[in-house]
Amino acid sequence: MTDDMNISEMLAEQLERFFTDTVDRNLLVQVEQGTAATDLWQELEGLGICSALVSEAAGGAGLSWTDAEASLRTIGRHGAPAPIAETMLANWVLSQASLTVPEGPIAVSTELFTLNADGTLNGSDSSVAWLPSCQHLVLIALRNGQAHVCRLGQDNYPTAQQETLSREPHSALNLNSAKVLESAPIEGLGTNGLKPYLACIRAIQISGALEQLLELSVEYGNTREQFGRPIGKFQAIQHSIANLASQTAAAQVAGMYACRQIDAGNAEKGAMVAKVRAGQSAGVGAEIAHQVFGAIGFTDEHILHYFTRRLWQWRTEAGSEYWWAEQLGKEVISAGGEALWPSITSQ
Amino acid sequence: MTSPFRFNPLQIPAELEPLRQEVRAFLLEAKQEWSGWKVGHSWTGFDREFSLEVGKRGWIGMTWPKQYGGHDRSSLERYVVVEEMLAVGAPLGSHWFGDRQSGPLLLRLGTEEQRQRLLPSIVKGEISFCIGLSEPDSGSDLASIRSKAIKVDGGYRLSGRKIWTTNAHLSEYMIGLFRTGAGTSKIKHEGLSQFLIDMSSSGIEIRPIADLTGEGHFNEIVFDDVFVPDNMIVGQEGNGWVQATSELTFERSQPDRFLSCYPLLPLTIDALNQQTNDRLSTRQIGQSVADLIVLREMSLSVLGQLDEGKTPSQEAALVKDLGNSYEQRMPTLVRELLDSPGIVERGDMLSELQGYLTQSVPSFSLRGGTREILRGIIAKGLGLK
Repeated sequence: MTDDMNISEMLAEQLERFFTDTVDRNLLVQVEQGTAATDLWQELEGLGICSALVSEAAGGAGLSWTDAEASLRTIGRHGAPAPIAETMLANWVLSQASLTVPEGPIAVSTELFTLNADGTLNGSDSSVAWLPSCQHLVLIALRNGQAHVCRLGQDNYPTAQQETLSREPHSALNLNSAKVLESAPIEGLGTNGLKPYLACIRAIQISGALEQLLELSVEYGNTREQFGRPIGKFQAIQHSIANLASQTAAAQVAGMYACRQIDAGNAEKGAMVAKVRAGQSAGVGAEIAHQVFGAIGFTDEHILHYFTRRLWQWRTEAGSEYWWAEQLGKEVISAGGEALWPSITSQ
Repeated sequence: MTSPFRFNPLQIPAELEPLRQEVRAFLLEAKQEWSGWKVGHSWTGFDREFSLEVGKRGWIGMTWPKQYGGHDRSSLERYVVVEEMLAVGAPLGSHWFGDRQSGPLLLRLGTEEQRQRLLPSIVKGEISFCIGLSEPDSGSDLASIRSKAIKVDGGYRLSGRKIWTTNAHLSEYMIGLFRTGAGTSKIKHEGLSQFLIDMSSSGIEIRPIADLTGEGHFNEIVFDDVFVPDNMIVGQEGNGWVQATSELTFERSQPDRFLSCYPLLPLTIDALNQQTNDRLSTRQIGQSVADLIVLREMSLSVLGQLDEGKTPSQEAALVKDLGNSYEQRMPTLVRELLDSPGIVERGDMLSELQGYLTQSVPSFSLRGGTREILRGIIAKGLGLK
């Protein structure tokens, strides 16, 4: 366990240093304007992060989701402009189904598709993050009720870039007898396929981006002067930032909880709790940070919106906080009041 | 950059399930007699008989050493017992302050004589403690207290006034903070000391203060030249500020900081099942449950850090800030989901609970450090200068 903890912390620290050196406003602008961060990706592959969740037998680092949490949070903290977390998820599910783990960035659709008798795919997804800039796509499709992991190459589907809040590349996906490169059955994913997994990832990325907002806000509070003193000396500002810290802490704990639930085979439960809690924090946190920064934080030149727009994007993806709250609410209400407390203490 | 706080997860091991079931079975029977109004009081509700029963079962002073009547059990075992009690709004008031705060204080800093004399009675549920901090002119600005302890032969003479002391009129002992030396204008919190005060001492006058619910839980206490012998000072003279504030770290992260309104939630769910449900109600319930699960995770994490000998003051303040807001919102949530008239129907569990809690929730973000004080602590911890 101690060894695992070390690997997990080492990887996160390595990523932290790497992103501090490589991800800046210029790179974020470049990717938002449609040019992929190819250099960043090549160096990332060298760090082994993309196969962190893949078992050691299949050539990965064999980390549990709990071990990978710190790395995923670091990815969110820097708004790292590449589908790193998506590729980690894709590689994990491919290796779970004993499929080849390819090189390069992989997009993930969280919808369920139909695997036809001739081995082709049908189905659609209204929006897939990073699809236009990925060589591969991984999704789950059903054939006779059996879930299959499918990998498609970028020649197997058309993409058309969508306008999104984060301005990261997204595309709708429509498959009609689309060709599959590889597929294999997989057990134990549940009725929502990969959606809960990506929801947990988005919750963790949100917690990371909130850490960024918190640090930026504290720094600004200590340096920006008005009325002859740093604005961080005003209680109104202090209390707002303290609330931002509370929201950040709650999102962080929600993300850790999600990872533990995935490791225990309860991804749905993890997603219900984590996406709901982190999604709320995303909205409140972005609101506070913008209030602290005033007009300058609302300008294009300022770094703040590269994180707040991602918060607004991520909270909507893989099921919004409201969608997941409804799933949890349905479960809780139908089980009845007496069942609630035991369900809380049995996790 | 790394996170400015740490919340390493702590899980309750499956071995503690039998203990949980034992507590649940005990409470299932005990709670049959409780009205909604009583349940609403939860850990502030004073019921000596109930505390004696809890003591008999070994659920007070659980983590304390056997030599003081304790049970040498883990802090996780205590957590299980406490959260089960809070989930049904059990009336813990008679033993709560001794179990949560004063007993642990004596274990850390008390003399052997103080421990021998008091801990076994706390464990049995026989005696109650109250906490004397605030004064008429010192609320949030606690360091400005003026009540004095003047050194005399063989002890101290206390004079001054304490206020907002919950259950002082029912307690055998107070842990009170008094000024034993002058603070400076810059460092007001110097020269404070904690005393163990026998509430039957002569010179103590207790005046109940009715609160807005019409009841009198808290009090003003006048100390008129009250003699306290030397052996009743707690810890070091002059070190009272550090001692009293470190107690608060234990206090701020526990489940009583987010479960005070919990009994409303299952009743609301049952009421929702009696009506046609809409999606927004379903979402609101889901959100409330998700928030609760995360708060519990945070609280357990702080417990784990305390067990490791760390002082997670920042994390504890974050738990209380979020927790108080969560529990404080619960009666409003009930009103959003159900038609909840401004009528307290005696005998109706939900109506009594809602009626009491609607009126008492404003105190949740005042007791144990106001929201403003907590947010000040958090801001300072973040490095806002």
